[in-house]
Amino acid sequence: MLLVHPVQEAVRFLPALLAVFVTGRSSDRSPWWDVAALIAVVALGVSRWFTTRYRITGGQIELRHGLLNRKLLATPADRLRTVDVTAPIWHRLLGLARVEIGTASGTLSERIVLDALAAPVAHALRAELLHDKEIRAGDAGPGDPEMASVGPVSETVLLQLDPRWVRYAPLTTSGLLTALAVWGFGTQFIGAVTGPIEAAFDQFRAWGVWVTAIVLVVAGTVWVALLAVTAYVLAYWDFRLTRHPGGTLHTSRGLLTTRSTSIEEGRIRGVELARPLLLRWARAAHLSAITTGLRRAEPGGGAGVAPLVPPAPEQVSIEVGVAVLGDPEPLRVALVGHGPAARRRRFVRAILPAIALAGLAGVLEWRFDLPVALTAAGFLPLLTAPLLAADRYAGLGHTLLSRYLITQEGSVYRRRVALQRDGIIGVVVRESYFQRRAGVATVVAATAAGRQGYAVLDAPAHHADRLVVDLIPQASEFRDR
Amino acid sequence: MSPRARWLWLVEGVGSLLPLIAAQAIWWWRDPASPRPVQWWLVAATVVLGTAYLAVMPQWRYRVHRWEVTPEAVYTQTGWFNQERRIAPIVRIQTVDLTRGPVSQLLSLASVRVTTASSAGPLGIHGLDHDLAVSLVEQLTELTVSDSGDAT
Repeated sequence: MLLVHPVQEAVRFLPALLAVFVTGRSSDRSPWWDVAALIAVVALGVSRWFTTRYRITGGQIELRHGLLNRKLLATPADRLRTVDVTAPIWHRLLGLARVEIGTASGTLSERIVLDALAAPVAHALRAELLHDKEIRAGDAGPGDPEMASVGPVSETVLLQLDPRWVRYAPLTTSGLLTALAVWGFGTQFIGAVTGPIEAAFDQFRAWGVWVTAIVLVVAGTVWVALLAVTAYVLAYWDFRLTRHPGGTLHTSRGLLTTRSTSIEEGRIRGVELARPLLLRWARAAHLSAITTGLRRAEPGGGAGVAPLVPPAPEQVSIEVGVAVLGDPEPLRVALVGHGPAARRRRFVRAILPAIALAGLAGVLEWRFDLPVALTAAGFLPLLTAPLLAADRYAGLGHTLLSRYLITQEGSVYRRRVALQRDGIIGVVVRESYFQRRAGVATVVAATAAGRQGYAVLDAPAHHADRLVVDLIPQASEFRDR
Repeated sequence: MSPRARWLWLVEGVGSLLPLIAAQAIWWWRDPASPRPVQWWLVAATVVLGTAYLAVMPQWRYRVHRWEVTPEAVYTQTGWFNQERRIAPIVRIQTVDLTRGPVSQLLSLASVRVTTASSAGPLGIHGLDHDLAVSLVEQLTELTVSDSGDAT
């Protein structure tokens, strides 16, 4: 515990230290100033260690820290909701871990953080806290002191990462984004590598356009695949999803930094099964939970969307979804299509922009004589648009179960959302001019969880009306509009 | 909605056209070498389309907008070209706000905004007569206070 604090303090003070070093170099000041700064930083870290104490007594968790400002964070133990153990790489190198205790109010600022405990101590602490919570939740009968001592926590493992799933990594969108980010970062250093680049261009000229294009595409694909695999491994290594009888789900994952998240089952309002186009071809999917109260944006979702299953075979994702919801129907039930009007709209909305783009390419070719490749690229969407539209229509559907609203939409990013009807707190019905002409409407179910609103896109008008009344029974009074 | 709301929407429409007019004016005066015929066409198009928009939009909106409050739920219908209907049960309402912009104050109008726990769900009733808006806020406050519960 002693070492990590000074290291963390040094990192925090790095800008100031850099300033001191730089100015020290430019002037004639004696090097003792640098040493003094370093000693001050270390002393600050050590003092933090000396002044931080935590205590867990019956009914209270206390954390006391601070040298100049003394702070006492105390929380009654029955307000405890989640216990997470995280280990960034510094901690792991030194065999340490950090315990974060979340309370019922759910805000990040009220989490109690016990930093830099020895790893076995951290895990034992988590087990003990959760065990106590389980006992309290289960109203353990005649206070059996034997049970209150630390025992193995009875968690059920819902999912464990199978290393073979790495093969799905290149098919996700995050790989492409990482590649773009790296490329963007790398262009800053273009100046330093003009030599090799000019040599490369000479080579391209020697090969000709088509070979160059093929080579670039292949190289780009390999590069993106490598990055995606790296990102997947870093983020999802040893992914485990466990359910704790106290009513929480825990996920833990990570290669360099191990991260664990707790999700209270009481806050889960549904699940989202995502099947992006490439993953769909490989019959894979990934699953997220839709919850209220998650403020931190996890990779793989925004705030309120917690990843439950990384890209994995479709069956696995569905089984985990069934286990989380406790009901097989939402993820397996067949959905009702939205009819010919919706299909027409999908085609029109896909083909019109493609025609416009082709027209633009044609005009530019006629006026300004573009290279052939660019003109061909302008006409390409015209070929793929009908396929995209058909796929988008196939992905469109919804149904209403007794406890869930299921809606699905999309082609390139197809999402099937199963939302609890109890969590729907409002309804918005959108009808654009063209939707009114076509007799369809988009119904958005507003909820406090996840993305805040989930849409049933282009449902036929009478279905939409019935859906609104089914979701919000109080709406039947407004029928006479 | 109050009939005076049409004036409010007219003023808002003019406000949204102003940047377009200003951009054209700037182009005209800053760059004397720019093609005048193109600019004349643009001016004509702006005048024609803008006048049509200002003539049609407030009236259309006035015909479409409506609202209703019952002890069970709040309902609003808004829009003109693209229309939207929103429904929120009273038990899910979290806050009720009354706002008046400068133009609304001149026309003694007000807007009421009802929010729920979902950021996709706020309902807005614009262009209400001010006194009516105040009594509506009171009515909604009474209704929401009488219900208890978490509203998420």
